[in-house]
Amino acid sequence: MASAAGAAGQEKQLAPTLLSFFIYNPKLGPKEGEEEKKILFYHPNEVEKNEKIRNVGLCEAIVQFTRTFSPTKPAKSLHTQKNRQFFHEPEENFWMVMVVRNPIIEKHKDGKPVYEYQEEELLDKVYSSVLQQCYSMYKLFNGTFLRAMEDGGVKVLKERLEKFFHRYLQTLHLQSCDLLDVFCGISFFPLDKMTYLKIQSFINRMEESLSIVKYTAFLYNDQLIWSGLEQDDMRILYKYLTTSLFPRHMEPELAGRDSPIRAEMPGNLQHYGRFLTGPLNLNDPETKCRFPKIFVNTDDTYEELHLIVYKAMSAAVCFMIDASIPPTLEFCRKLDSIVGPQLTVLASDICEQYNINKRISGAEKEPQFKFIYFNHMNLAEKSTIHMRKTPSVSLASVHPDLMKILGDINSDFSRVDEDEEIIVKAMSDYWVVGKKSDQRELYVILNQKNVNLIEVNEEVKKLCATQFNNIFFLD
Amino acid sequence: MAADVHKKKSWEVPNGSLAPGDGQHAERSESPTPGLAQGTEPGAGQEGAMFVHTRSYEDLTSPEDGAAVARSPEERRGEPAEQSSMEQISKDFSELSTQLTGIALDLEEEMRPGKEGKLEPSPQTNRRDSVLSGKEEEDVTMDAWRMHRKHVFVLSEAGKPVYSRYGSEEALSSTMGVMMALVSFLEAEKNAIRSIHADGYKVVFVRRSPLVLVAVARTQQSEQEIAHELLYIYYQILSLLTWTQLNHIFQQKQNYDLRRLLAGSERITDNLLDLMAHDPSFLMGAVRCLPLAASVRDAVSSSLQQAKAKSLVFSILLSGNQLVSLVRKKDQFLHPIDLHLLFNLISSSSSFREGEAWTPICLPKFNSSGFFHAHISYLEQEMDLCLLLVSTDREDFFTVSDCKRRFQERLRRRGVHHALQEALRTPFYSVAQVGIPDLRHFIYKSKSSGLFTSPEIEAPYVQEEEKERLLGLYQYLHSRAHNSSRPLKNIYFTGPRENLLAWVTNAFELYVCYSPLGTKAGAINAVNKLMKWIRKEEDRLFILTPQTY
Amino acid sequence: MSREPPGAAEEEAPGAAAGAAAAAAAAGGGGGEGEGEGRARGGAEGGGCYLALCARPVHFEKANPVNCVFFDEANKQVFAVRSGGATGVVVKGLEDRNPISFRMEDKGEVKCIKFSLGNKILAVQRTLKSVDFLNFIPDSPQLEYTQECKTKNANILGFCWTSSTEIVFITDQGIEFYQVLPEKRSLKLLKNQSINVNWYMYCPESSVILLSTTVLGNVLQPFYFKSGTMSKLSKFEIELPAAPKSSKLSLSERDIAMATIYGQLYVLYLRHHSRTSNSTGAEVVLYHLPREGSCKKTHILKLNRTGKFALNVVDNLVVVHHQDTETSVIFDIKLKGEFDGSTTIHHFVLPPRSIQPYQIPVAGPASVTSQAPVPCKLYSSSWIVFQPDIIISASEGYLWSLQVKLEPVVNLLLDKGKLMDFLLQRKECKMVILSVCSQMLSEPERGSLSVIATVFDKLNHEYKKYLEAEQSYTMVVETGLSRSNPLLKRPVRTQAVIDQSDMYTHVLSVFTEKKEAPHKFTIAVLMEYIRSLNQFQIAVQHYLYELVIKTLVQHNLFYMLHQFLQYHVLSDSKPLACLLLSLESIYPPAHQLSLDMLKRLSTANDEIVEVLLSKHQVLAALRFIRGIGGHDSISARKFLDAAKQAEDEMLFYTIFRFFEQRNQRLRGNPSFTPGEHCEEHVTFFKQVFGEQALMKPTTF
Repeated sequence: MASAAGAAGQEKQLAPTLLSFFIYNPKLGPKEGEEEKKILFYHPNEVEKNEKIRNVGLCEAIVQFTRTFSPTKPAKSLHTQKNRQFFHEPEENFWMVMVVRNPIIEKHKDGKPVYEYQEEELLDKVYSSVLQQCYSMYKLFNGTFLRAMEDGGVKVLKERLEKFFHRYLQTLHLQSCDLLDVFCGISFFPLDKMTYLKIQSFINRMEESLSIVKYTAFLYNDQLIWSGLEQDDMRILYKYLTTSLFPRHMEPELAGRDSPIRAEMPGNLQHYGRFLTGPLNLNDPETKCRFPKIFVNTDDTYEELHLIVYKAMSAAVCFMIDASIPPTLEFCRKLDSIVGPQLTVLASDICEQYNINKRISGAEKEPQFKFIYFNHMNLAEKSTIHMRKTPSVSLASVHPDLMKILGDINSDFSRVDEDEEIIVKAMSDYWVVGKKSDQRELYVILNQKNVNLIEVNEEVKKLCATQFNNIFFLD
Repeated sequence: MAADVHKKKSWEVPNGSLAPGDGQHAERSESPTPGLAQGTEPGAGQEGAMFVHTRSYEDLTSPEDGAAVARSPEERRGEPAEQSSMEQISKDFSELSTQLTGIALDLEEEMRPGKEGKLEPSPQTNRRDSVLSGKEEEDVTMDAWRMHRKHVFVLSEAGKPVYSRYGSEEALSSTMGVMMALVSFLEAEKNAIRSIHADGYKVVFVRRSPLVLVAVARTQQSEQEIAHELLYIYYQILSLLTWTQLNHIFQQKQNYDLRRLLAGSERITDNLLDLMAHDPSFLMGAVRCLPLAASVRDAVSSSLQQAKAKSLVFSILLSGNQLVSLVRKKDQFLHPIDLHLLFNLISSSSSFREGEAWTPICLPKFNSSGFFHAHISYLEQEMDLCLLLVSTDREDFFTVSDCKRRFQERLRRRGVHHALQEALRTPFYSVAQVGIPDLRHFIYKSKSSGLFTSPEIEAPYVQEEEKERLLGLYQYLHSRAHNSSRPLKNIYFTGPRENLLAWVTNAFELYVCYSPLGTKAGAINAVNKLMKWIRKEEDRLFILTPQTY
Repeated sequence: MSREPPGAAEEEAPGAAAGAAAAAAAAGGGGGEGEGEGRARGGAEGGGCYLALCARPVHFEKANPVNCVFFDEANKQVFAVRSGGATGVVVKGLEDRNPISFRMEDKGEVKCIKFSLGNKILAVQRTLKSVDFLNFIPDSPQLEYTQECKTKNANILGFCWTSSTEIVFITDQGIEFYQVLPEKRSLKLLKNQSINVNWYMYCPESSVILLSTTVLGNVLQPFYFKSGTMSKLSKFEIELPAAPKSSKLSLSERDIAMATIYGQLYVLYLRHHSRTSNSTGAEVVLYHLPREGSCKKTHILKLNRTGKFALNVVDNLVVVHHQDTETSVIFDIKLKGEFDGSTTIHHFVLPPRSIQPYQIPVAGPASVTSQAPVPCKLYSSSWIVFQPDIIISASEGYLWSLQVKLEPVVNLLLDKGKLMDFLLQRKECKMVILSVCSQMLSEPERGSLSVIATVFDKLNHEYKKYLEAEQSYTMVVETGLSRSNPLLKRPVRTQAVIDQSDMYTHVLSVFTEKKEAPHKFTIAVLMEYIRSLNQFQIAVQHYLYELVIKTLVQHNLFYMLHQFLQYHVLSDSKPLACLLLSLESIYPPAHQLSLDMLKRLSTANDEIVEVLLSKHQVLAALRFIRGIGGHDSISARKFLDAAKQAEDEMLFYTIFRFFEQRNQRLRGNPSFTPGEHCEEHVTFFKQVFGEQALMKPTTF
């Protein structure tokens, strides 16, 4: 519809917005008149009590109602004319609900504004994923709801929820959510074997000399190279790093991201290393060594860790140490002195190698297609559709309708887990291709309009040959 | 019909096709290969269509919307138009009184054990001999009940059960109560509930005041398609009561138990639902013709045309759910939906096989406020050939009955009777006739004529569930192609069991099913070859020269 | 005796019957060996003696007034001449176990006696003027013939054989180079050179004679002999510690030695500590003496002590014995030293240790060797040391070769990097190196990763050098260039070459089996080794990868494994792909990884099809084959079987149809030929889809 908005002048499109977001537990206020007790968090808080209770009530009703048809698989979402509500039960009896208003077209019929709700614009899968990520992100920094209850009952849980979501909800950019939010994938940094091995041995040595380090992750250019964490934990941590932490600490000395200016090292500083979390100035004895706590492997070992993020040029290392050992200033200094120099060297090695490889592969000019690739096996994600991630959004460079078609195809794929391919021609005459081959998904948007199915197929073949010749991709 | 067209305009935009208003028309005309303009596609009628032209089912939702949740502004704008069309219609059929008394009378008649083999009267008997007999006893808490592919519920605004496909309404009254509660909760917030989505099933709500229709579907269908089917159910109910009467009843008595009126009609509804799960007609919003040599068909049509009477609006000859011939009053158009309802009415009762039936029926898309009277009879016992004569005069039974006699008379004289019998022996053609090895099945719809053709479903789709699955695939293609906010021109799907192609232009819609080992190049060639074949066969597969009295 | 042992004159000879002694050498030799070994181990545990005398010494009748003992460095033979040879001459060598013994008439005191190379001609010097010759044929006395030195009133200092028939006389006035003509029983002068000679020294392995000239004697003139030619190399001067006061001979031959170290000839000069110069102690100065060009002073070995020293060269190590402390030290000129621009200063590699205690085997036949063996006096002043590795105890009548024991070194040289540098240069290093590796991977002395890394790198550096040599050799051979350069020979594989299988069998597999180390460490080590191999561009063998995978799987570190494969750290190979397949049950993604690998190998299309079929992915398999254009040759039956097993009738129909169409296309008829053995499938098809579903022969 955005197209229409663009076309007709007096029309105005109002993007989807977050109407409300709440978390409740029906078991907490079972009796009549106690309904308010169920509510653990409610945004916006200003809403008056009874409305809160009413809306929670509706969700409970919907869920209960659907249980009559499927006791085990209750409602995931509710579509209404004006909005969509998404339900998620991450822990037993703990329900998270996100209500998103449908986009609106505001028209002016003889002077007065007329509103049209666009009911088919929001994609369920996208926003349910967003909701699930809300939980994952909360859990990463606070642990499970249940744990909070054990720690200090409803009171503590409410505090944590308030503290976390108050800030987190502001970072949701609902209007720019798309397929990538469904995947919530990890972008891996392309690297040659030798450099990768160097990084491996770097990490191993660091873990040896900083014995309290439990896990390590290594990133370059906001792309992952190594993760000692398990996949799911890394997935959400990666999202945090790339959409929140890194953007807040842009490299000052980096002009072009890929070409660190080997400026004269300032003063007596022997390296570029610095802490993104923890102490700002190691020379100040008063400086605080507080690091964010994270929770991993919550469904078995339930580990609580300090997250130390240390960066030199474009290379960032996450050291995760057991929360029971608070890192001291001495430790930080030690880390700085050991890691700093080596990481600085490593960073420029990687950069060199990367540029070499780029030269070899040859800087290909704007290709005839844009694509998104995702592999469910290792969460590897690649997109030429999205611009570089800005603080928390990644902007798609194609028409929103095309992005939504990608979303449609994706949800078609998730009906059966068998290899499928879907090629469609949109009203705008763009061709969109979706390909699913053993846990891998590839989506291509072809820029040239006047081609036929066979030519499209050829283009996709070409793409696979150039980009994915090293994997088994069924044709 | 002016109303219809007017409505269509007001509906295009909100339904989100990329171009506002009629622009969509322009959009579609530039189809991938030099497309045919509407009216020139294979199967296009030569002198206009016999149907209300339906582009796609969107316009289904329009006529009654004035009566529906009248909240969204464009719907409100709808109402006066609705009125005007009403006036016009009632002018045409002034003698058809829409006074309550009259209707009440009709109702009593319906309720009474029918002379001339009317609808089965008593609620007790009808359900039992219906296809799904014994379902009254079905326990609504059992998994078996839950796992039905598609539940359909109809309830009144008071939350009173009107219809349930599975399980007794009584057992479900509480559930329906909840449904109504949900509906009204959102309406209280100036909002409207559309659907609930969960893993493996959808709950779809359609609001047609004074009724609420709900479906719980485990099919792959889109929300829109399910709503589409619910509307069919709604029209089915209207066809028995008329919209005017329905509203009146509930105005009188808010918590009226509509089942008293509808008793005996359940199995028609049941049948309609079963039919929609097998017959693509409903999906296509079009009618399939019995393959027949043009000469024979013309003979039949003119015989039919000559057997006219003053009160006759439509004369329809059908076999199975395929149209053999249709003759109509000048500038009176039958909407495919209305015809589907007639098909369903006939196929849902064996009683029509004996003798002649004379039954009042409302054609909601034609005029939702009044009754026609249908004369239904089979030409010969053993022959699956049913004649349906729609009259405006409920006193006209004998005149109409005579029309039938005259028609048969002419048939015999023209000596096409035998040829007709031959045609009936093979009511479907095999896809092998097209001569494309990888081609398994297809559906081709001519938009201007509102007719479609499709071969018999053959191997490998031998099992029932495979047949249903195939239709499911067509539904999938259709819903993507006609997605109200992101419609598509072409779809090519490579799947684990078959490859599919959908091609939608302003003139026609084509859905093809190939072997999964077919190639894309092969698919394209097949389509071109298929289009040629259809053009070659069009006068056998379609009615190209519709007749009027 | 040509050279006086330090203080040999004063040495009192302990009495032992010659016969008995001889017997002891024979009998006790065997017993002594075992003994020696036993001690060797004992020694290692104790002080860690890294030097030892060989277990099988040459035993000879010790020197006494009636029995003169001579040693020939060229043939490494000891001559025991009793009463001028009349009562017999016994010749024993280190190599040849059975002694040569003969008689010759006593023509006066023998000054020097040596066999030509190959023991054909015996040369005996009895006077200062002449040398007598004798064509030696065992047990048949021959007539001698004599050669006087050409130069008038010159005195022969000695002679040395440079080949089987060429001999050099060294006189105080120069050298004379002769060819012996045995059949003519005469000599022919080939070349002579007059020059004042204080003393001379001969290095047989490089056939170079060094002459000490000038008054001070510190100007050395080398000559090089080769098949009838004598070439004069550029002379050079040994710089003396302090300017000598008097003009008397001040460079003694005792302080000079010649030896080949790492294939190069060096002149070793033992420079004694001088009070005047403020040097901390004595030192050994190495002069490099090349075939061409001038001799240069290259290395200085710091001894940090004073007193009596003796030099040996063993396994390219310079061994310096110190009599006062009865210890020895070793130097390796390949190890890093302090380079001052012209020379490199080295310190001894290991702390001083005495030679391993040595037991003299007791005389008498094996049956009666009851009494304990006698410990041998080490560093006795009666010892005489010859190059490169000979130690003779004239007083006890033993000749040993000196050996370096590597095991003790391991515990003495704690810097693992330096240790490797040291070991890699030794002859018998392989097992020691491997044991060092295993040791550094296991408690208690587990090394840090960086140490382990350096060790791996040093090993692989050596390994790579060898591989390259191999490669270039085979290249030359293949290209047939070998004929053009005949001196090209297959590179020898020294023990220092530790390849992947050595590492795998002796170190890594054992190490991972033990599982005592934390898995993090285990994996780190394996990756470190793989890293090192890659760094030297050595193709990694798949069994190493398998080791990595097994270890990761044991600890459920599948995500790590996945990442490794993702970055192709574990390079593709069919065995690896199969291993991955076998993991699918515990780690489903392995299936994808394996398929990718097979795809990349691009030689494994059949395998891919098999894998897909095994997973009932018949369609995928068929689409794949068609993709590579092999669908006309595949067996219909195979695919129909697979489809049937999949128990999917739709699938079966599709596959059946596909082959019907293939038949139609290839043979103009959709039906199967008997050869295809698809009867049962045809029947099945009919019974499921009916006769009419069979494809009809297309006419159009």
